[in-house]
Amino acid sequence: MATAHIRNFCIIAHIDHGKSTLADRLLEYTGTLSAREMSAQVLDQMELERERGITIKAQAVRLEYAARDGGNYMLNLIDTPGHVDFTYEVSRSLAACEGALLVVDAAQGIEAQTLANVYLALEHDLEIIPVINKIDLPSADPDKVKREIEEVIGLDASEAVLVSAKTGTGIDAVLEAIVKKVPPPKGDEAAPLKALIFDSHFDPYKGVIVYLRVMDGRIAPGMKIRMMATDKVFEVDEVGIFRPYLANVDELGPGHVGFLAASIKNVKDTRVGDTVTNAASPADAPLPGYRKVTPMVYCGLYPVETSDYDNLRDALEKLQLNDASLLYEPETSVALGFGFRCGFLGLLHMDIVKERLEREYGLTLITTAPNVIYKVYKTDGTMEQIENPSKLPAPQVIDHVEEPYVKATVIVPNDYVGSVMELSQEKRGEYKDMKYLDPTRVMIMYELPLSEIIYDYFDRLKSSTRGYASLDYELAGYRESDLVKLDIMLNGEVVDALSAIVHRDRSVYRGRQLVEKLRGIIPRQMFEIPIQAAIGNKVIARETVRAMRKDVLAKCYGGDITRKRKLLEKQKEGKKRMKQVGSVELPQEAFMAVLKMD
Amino acid sequence: MNLGLYIHIPFCRRKCLYCDFPSVAGAEELYAAYTAALCREIAGKGGLLSACAVDTVYIGGGTPTVLPTECLAAIGRCLRQSVAVAPGAEFTVEANPGTLAGDKLAALRAAGASRVSLGVQAFDDKVLAAAGRIHTAAEAAEAAWTVRAAGFARVSVDLMYGLPRQTPAGFRAGLERAAALPVEHISAYGLKVEEGTPFAALAAAGRLALPDEEDEEAMYDMAAAFLPAHGFRRYEISNYARPGAECRHNMKYWRYEPYVGVGAAAHSFWQGERTANVADVREYIARVAAGGEATISRERPAPAVAMAEYAFLALRTAEGVSFAAFAARFGEDFLRRYGAVVDRLAGQGLVAADGDGLRLTAQGQKYGNVVFASFLPDG
Repeated sequence: MATAHIRNFCIIAHIDHGKSTLADRLLEYTGTLSAREMSAQVLDQMELERERGITIKAQAVRLEYAARDGGNYMLNLIDTPGHVDFTYEVSRSLAACEGALLVVDAAQGIEAQTLANVYLALEHDLEIIPVINKIDLPSADPDKVKREIEEVIGLDASEAVLVSAKTGTGIDAVLEAIVKKVPPPKGDEAAPLKALIFDSHFDPYKGVIVYLRVMDGRIAPGMKIRMMATDKVFEVDEVGIFRPYLANVDELGPGHVGFLAASIKNVKDTRVGDTVTNAASPADAPLPGYRKVTPMVYCGLYPVETSDYDNLRDALEKLQLNDASLLYEPETSVALGFGFRCGFLGLLHMDIVKERLEREYGLTLITTAPNVIYKVYKTDGTMEQIENPSKLPAPQVIDHVEEPYVKATVIVPNDYVGSVMELSQEKRGEYKDMKYLDPTRVMIMYELPLSEIIYDYFDRLKSSTRGYASLDYELAGYRESDLVKLDIMLNGEVVDALSAIVHRDRSVYRGRQLVEKLRGIIPRQMFEIPIQAAIGNKVIARETVRAMRKDVLAKCYGGDITRKRKLLEKQKEGKKRMKQVGSVELPQEAFMAVLKMD
Repeated sequence: MNLGLYIHIPFCRRKCLYCDFPSVAGAEELYAAYTAALCREIAGKGGLLSACAVDTVYIGGGTPTVLPTECLAAIGRCLRQSVAVAPGAEFTVEANPGTLAGDKLAALRAAGASRVSLGVQAFDDKVLAAAGRIHTAAEAAEAAWTVRAAGFARVSVDLMYGLPRQTPAGFRAGLERAAALPVEHISAYGLKVEEGTPFAALAAAGRLALPDEEDEEAMYDMAAAFLPAHGFRRYEISNYARPGAECRHNMKYWRYEPYVGVGAAAHSFWQGERTANVADVREYIARVAAGGEATISRERPAPAVAMAEYAFLALRTAEGVSFAAFAARFGEDFLRRYGAVVDRLAGQGLVAADGDGLRLTAQGQKYGNVVFASFLPDG
């Protein structure tokens, strides 16, 4: 098909503004899937995505559309995640498109992540089509949203498409707008092959399935291809498109979005952002790739059963095949034994990785509280990056410590401006700017330590604004802070996995809160457990978990041994989630206690 | 082959507030039909029950003694017809003070019963009332004498600790009163608030004033110290007896020996299979009356589960696990299988092994569940 009849687009939206529902409707309207095949959130195939109502992985699907101009068009929809953690995934998808549908909720208006995604799309020179969704809602105010789009983003919203993805209203207009407004891909069929890898997944039978967007040239089975960054050569077994299931085709040409399989055993050979070219007649230069993604938060992942260490390593390796943004390296903890320090894009990403490891690989894991990366400048003039609080060098060799700050954008009804500022101030934030989006909604900008965002900023923000605030942030460099290491001792022994780096002014308060919290979390055991918080050698707080007095089933009724055994099984199951640290058994919540304090 | 026979009587005059055992209160209209069904089930098992030497019979409840004399007599006749009760067998009936009027005890003696287990629970009227018991402390003491006078060779009383309004001092006075009665056997059970009981509802509403844990522990310690000092050997975590007066029927549970249960909700363990009868009394009657099976569930524990059960049941007793008996039954060496678990538990001071076997320490008895759960296979 000539590129003139191809459109590659994605959908960008704040979470809950209806992106997945709109995608479902587009699939349905174009007959890509029959009503029988439709299930809600078709593109969110991962169990977790459906459960949480979010998109984690980029997905792609080809729609065939007979437009009003009489032409038959091939529309490639590349789905993108909406959460701030997955900005990296978004930018990968954007690079494979020429246009984007900007979905805004007709009742909610622009939110913080809408803005972040629009700016990304503009960076990629995409044609942006505003789509105002949920116009069926009684509180919908499309005109107000149009004004916001024009005033805040600076996009012409006069031709914004009004839809209700729920009822199906306006879906045809969206398709027409895609055909009319999104430019067809440019590309030279005769030029050497250049295709951008935007994703991949591992298939146990076919090897790595590479998701790509062809820019120039053609690709077909039998062709020898070269990965330009890794310099690996493979022979193509299959090429195909997304319907959204994989469907083989004879070849892919310029502007096409599809996949290839080439018996590739190692996902590392197919780096996302790399360029695929023809090994026989290669392109001169690769496409501009993606900037390397840098994890923002780290935590330790440890198997509850030490014998599961190898299984955890294998699982992380496999997971990384589908998630290049996941970093991990082995580490050892005195308390937890052998495990991995893992880097994530954000808290949601961390949560999802942990849940996938447990669900898909049957592991039971202990996660330590997430932390940011600190830059420790030492008295000898060297700098060390600290990804694990327990590794903070002794105070006497530290000259100063820097921590990452983010530029946070909060959008909130003007009634809550005071609460947001108060909270941000408390979280060591520095006020930057404030803008009225309309007479009732305000955008507030602060620079804040990332550690405070991880700690409880978002939860507090939501609760102090009754859920109205939306938040987005981006890294804004490192700044010096007066930070100290807070250690926790159980039975007089420091538990390295519970150490945290905190601001000196808040350290005593945090120490007290933490031991109190731990007292509530650590189940009573056969002996008394003193819990202490210390900074350096100074104990700043102490609590005690009293001993359990006894634990024995008194009676077995009339020979019903099964019931007795089930009770014991339940008790044993409960212990399975506990990690033995010295003589004390700690539940998972203990390691997260440092995060969840009021 | 020796066999235990358990007969369940799922009726009470009134449900105690802590009780989650299968029994119904005030269902007099079912007594006759239930007795008939019970006899029919026993007769149906006649082949097995006459081929084996039934050396323990245990009629439990509920409150077996709420049944009228004619029902008790009918059960006795049925046993004589269908069951080969061995000479010298232990034949226990559970009884509640306040339900022993008239000629019931004589009927039980005539049926062959030689042992009565009296549900006393406490010797403090305030505590008894708060637990929903139907008798006073004086009536309980009198019942023990009455039972003895009726010619029963063995009498046991059940006590509970950790009940609402109970104090360590009160519990100690109760132990003294129990030990002074003409009894050879005393059981002391800690209260557990079970789901679905009135106590659970009270607890959820914050209206159940239980003794604090320190007091409950003190009561546990008291029983463990007082009763052996007065001649009642602690032969199982909650059971104390004068030498030779241990409950042989209950020992079968702990020694992994076979027993057959009849009646609603009764459990059996025969040839490595555990079965349970339907718990609902009306359904039980209907099934048996229709000539059907009362059994609703069967389970044959896998070897790893069976070995764990064997271990945690045996560890409840003073004799503990015998390595020789374990090897004879399962063809496996106990320490080879559980060496690591035993080492860890011994390191925590919960168990002690010698060349012949493994037993709980005093600490291990207190934290029995920690020990027991350790033997279960990971699942």
